[in-house]
Amino acid sequence: MNAPSLSERLVRIGLIALALLSVAVFLVLPLITVFAQAFAEGGKLYVQAIRSDAVLTALKLTLIVAAMAVPLNVVFGIAASWAITRFDFYGKQILITLIDIPLAVSPVVAGLMYIEVFGLHGWFGPWLAAHNIHIIFAMPGIVLATVFVTFPFVARELIPFMQAQGSDEEEAAVVLGAHPLSIFWRITLPNIKWALLYGSILAASRSIGEFGAVSVLSGHIRGRTTTLPLEVEMAYNEYNFTAAFAAASLLTFAAIITLTVKKILESASGIHPRAGQEKDAA
Amino acid sequence: MSIQIENIRKNYGAFEALKGISLTIESGELIALLGPSGCGKTTLLRSIAGLESPDDGHILLHGEESTRTNAARRGIGFVFQHYALFRHMTIFENVAFGLRVQPRAERLGRKGIHDRVSELLRLVQLESYARMYPEQLSGGQRQRVALARALAVRPKVLLLDEPFSALDAKVRKDLRTWLRRVHDELHVTTILVTHDQEEALEVADRVVILNAGRMEQVGTPEEIYNHPASPFVYNFLGNVNLFHGRLLADLAPAGSAGQPQAAPSIGFVRPHEFEIARTAVVGSQALPATVSRLNAAGPLVRLDLTVADAAQPVVVEISHARLRELSLREGDQVYLTPTEIRVFSNTAADDLVDFGSHI
Repeated sequence: MNAPSLSERLVRIGLIALALLSVAVFLVLPLITVFAQAFAEGGKLYVQAIRSDAVLTALKLTLIVAAMAVPLNVVFGIAASWAITRFDFYGKQILITLIDIPLAVSPVVAGLMYIEVFGLHGWFGPWLAAHNIHIIFAMPGIVLATVFVTFPFVARELIPFMQAQGSDEEEAAVVLGAHPLSIFWRITLPNIKWALLYGSILAASRSIGEFGAVSVLSGHIRGRTTTLPLEVEMAYNEYNFTAAFAAASLLTFAAIITLTVKKILESASGIHPRAGQEKDAA
Repeated sequence: MSIQIENIRKNYGAFEALKGISLTIESGELIALLGPSGCGKTTLLRSIAGLESPDDGHILLHGEESTRTNAARRGIGFVFQHYALFRHMTIFENVAFGLRVQPRAERLGRKGIHDRVSELLRLVQLESYARMYPEQLSGGQRQRVALARALAVRPKVLLLDEPFSALDAKVRKDLRTWLRRVHDELHVTTILVTHDQEEALEVADRVVILNAGRMEQVGTPEEIYNHPASPFVYNFLGNVNLFHGRLLADLAPAGSAGQPQAAPSIGFVRPHEFEIARTAVVGSQALPATVSRLNAAGPLVRLDLTVADAAQPVVVEISHARLRELSLREGDQVYLTPTEIRVFSNTAADDLVDFGSHI
């Protein structure tokens, strides 16, 4: 590129300044506020707030829910992307569209749908009550809600990746006499592992932060069915700002860890943003 | 192992990829399936491998009904156009894969696998690459690894799907000579799919020419080249001049090619099947033409000649000696006489989509 003219340089400086300013005002400043508020009444109170039963049980529940939702998503994501990229079947386009529903529907609506299905007055409510199975206002409901909102994450990472890779290697393995299960472990999984990990990280981060759908299904029973995001809201509504921001700071830490892992994965694997461009290096 | 293909049909939606193919391949033969893209040759090959299931018809491997046999149990080696090497495995592990996934009872021990892989890497001259990964190899080397991997399990049939088409011309030529040598050494029944007529005619014992899901001709390379059964085959083999209408009548007067001239016909003449002269002999069938381009780079001299009423220039090849005799230059007037002409009635040529530009 030639040396830019003065006006070009002004435009460039202006755009960069605008971007930096928006990042500062909308992203960095609120982040600083979270920690400022959390420590507003001293580090001792912050530690106390974090070690309170309410926050600790919320943290535990949040992690358990993520630990259940993410593996479910991995299983579903692999199954769906395998089916979509390796087979032709009637209704394939519909399935691809359905996977995206959670991204289009408000999480609150998702929560309400589950209440309609599993709630006391819902379709399966009486049967569930008769068998003493609790889904709504209990952990299974929270896991269901979280699985719903994180449904697309793994599949949407894997589908374009597996499409770009093609099925040549798997076909080669079949002709060489390999068993389907053996092909999955020896060929498919090693090839998709980075994309799979990447999708799982996104799903985990979303499960930890999910509020809307979980809020509808949880019932807000402190110490039993509140996750960290719910705890933030409840403490805030009770004017317990230190506790609210202490819980919020934990979520922020989770976000920072996610971002770091995501960044490391991207540079280690080269899956983004170059996905699919590496296939014909010959 | 012999292969019998009986009336195989395959449709993809409304598209008929194979319209009833029957073919018998003898044990130890090297067959080339030759045709333009979309003619069904790859579908046929994948059906034999079990990677596609035909809608109708039968495939018998060594006399045994195998149409629905799982691809993993057909004892077939398959080489893909884009190599399909396992990118996360070393060259050694790629070749060893088929040996490692064998049923426990038949599986070789650690030493056995090592010896077999080393033997194959020696065969494909890549012993020193055992620890490298596919992305560190050139295209030609990768395809040799793919071949070693396919041969590792001692397949009874070797299927190759346009194995050299992604390689550059020089490597392609070397590899096909080498493939023929490997075949002669191992005597494994081999089917090679290609769209390159030179490759097919050079390597194969027999050539099967496919067009739009049907077989046009089956024969030895000599038969195919010297006696093309249809205008399609003539045209597809390339390097041919096509005449029709009045020009054909001038070149091939009634009776000369054993074909009635009443029906509209087309005639083919290969570039080297012309006599060329400075002056017209009285009473002969010579066609006046002008030299529009002369290219003497190569074993033969290529002349592009403009003929009145012909849409395409006529291409003629003469020896360098003949060029010196005639002392031709661009712009000179000459007279053309075909020494060989093959005439087909136009109805037989209906499936010829594009008449020109096949030189």
